[in-house]
Amino acid sequence: MEAVTGWWDDYFWGSVIVLQVFVCSLILMVLFGLIGAAAKLSNNRFAQKLAAGYTVAFRGTPEILVILLLYFGSAITLTAIAQVFDPEVKFVDLSPFWSGTLAIGLIVGSYATETFRGAFLGVKPGSIEAARALGMSNFQTFVYVRIPEMWRLALPSFGNHMLSLIKDTALISIIGLNETLFVAKQAIGTTGKPFTMYIVVGCVYLGFSTVITLTVMWLEKYGNKHMESAR
Amino acid sequence: MIFDFELIADSIPKMLMGIGLTFQLLFLSAILGLILAVLLLLMRISGKWYLSWPAQVHIYIFRGTPILVQIFIIYYGLPQFEFIRDSIFWPILREPFGCAILALTLNTGAYVSEILRGGVLGVDRGVLEAGAALGLSVRQKFIYLTVPIAARLSLPAYSNDFISLMKATSLASTITLVDMTGIARTIVSQTFAPYEIFISLAIIYMILTWVFQKTFGRIEKYLSRYVKPEGLA
Repeated sequence: MEAVTGWWDDYFWGSVIVLQVFVCSLILMVLFGLIGAAAKLSNNRFAQKLAAGYTVAFRGTPEILVILLLYFGSAITLTAIAQVFDPEVKFVDLSPFWSGTLAIGLIVGSYATETFRGAFLGVKPGSIEAARALGMSNFQTFVYVRIPEMWRLALPSFGNHMLSLIKDTALISIIGLNETLFVAKQAIGTTGKPFTMYIVVGCVYLGFSTVITLTVMWLEKYGNKHMESAR
Repeated sequence: MIFDFELIADSIPKMLMGIGLTFQLLFLSAILGLILAVLLLLMRISGKWYLSWPAQVHIYIFRGTPILVQIFIIYYGLPQFEFIRDSIFWPILREPFGCAILALTLNTGAYVSEILRGGVLGVDRGVLEAGAALGLSVRQKFIYLTVPIAARLSLPAYSNDFISLMKATSLASTITLVDMTGIARTIVSQTFAPYEIFISLAIIYMILTWVFQKTFGRIEKYLSRYVKPEGLA
């Protein structure tokens, strides 16, 4: 393990990047998931088709392919656009951080679409009728009745989606994001200790997933505390 | 943005040359993974701590870390040790193919074992009580009652995991294997046409996903043929 000594700070900053990607892609994932679910549950035929296409495409394609496509594709498109304004420009790209974050946000968002859709459908009709009887507006019903009931139903799957997100950040190292796996590659270059270096990466991710799992367990307990006596 | 259709028509046959390797990785690790999953499941439900703990540790580690890190640890990491290079497993661990199979098997085994456990826990207690009333032994109850019902219950989740496994095989391209993704990455580095190549490959994977989903749907229907459809019950 002494080979790792000089690398702890690099691993630390790599973990910070993992965390940054996780937080940004989590926000995107919730956003895409809610939009997708809203489109699937809407009466608009076109929106339904679009959302169906979105989930089929991103659930049927390997994650690494989406990441590569977004990174290299954005480079070509952005360079082409930039050259229209300034022919001198040679190369513009979306940074690995943002193309990777967007990619995993889109992928896991497609899974979240199904989760949120199922959870909204799982809200009991009785609760909504009760809200109507109390004279709540559509918006009030959504905020005070649908959301509180829906997030408890969505939580177990949502926890799994968060685990997918944190694990998918490792794939972004392929396009050159300097997260922990990338740090390990550099460290191996100088120390020649691949096993030790990759095990550290494994431990970092194991730590992150453990924290997420425990948080979700706590949230589930917290979310269902009013149901305890009924069980 | 103009699509170069000639390039697409040119590269699809090239990428399809890698489908054999994709299938080999997929089916081999799916079968080995299923065997591992059943073993892990039996260890977990054995009720003996010295069997159940190792299984739980395996599941915890392999579900808690990215598959890419697992592949790298096995392919790049293990040769760090002299005793592995001297062991009888070296001919397998030396090859990227063997390492990819090993990593995918260990990974999918952990996930599938949890799925199967869900199926076993979902078996109605009444059925097992009926079995006990008929004088079936523990082993008979497991083989004739638990296994068929648990298989049916866990199939939908298993089909999802099978598709995840198919998507994970594309990571073999990171350890020099030339599966479909590996070929696509080579073509892109030569032509720098990521849209054409990666989108056509994505469509190939989507078609595969669709075929597997339909096949599993068929199997599911077959296994539930004696289950009353909902609404009539």
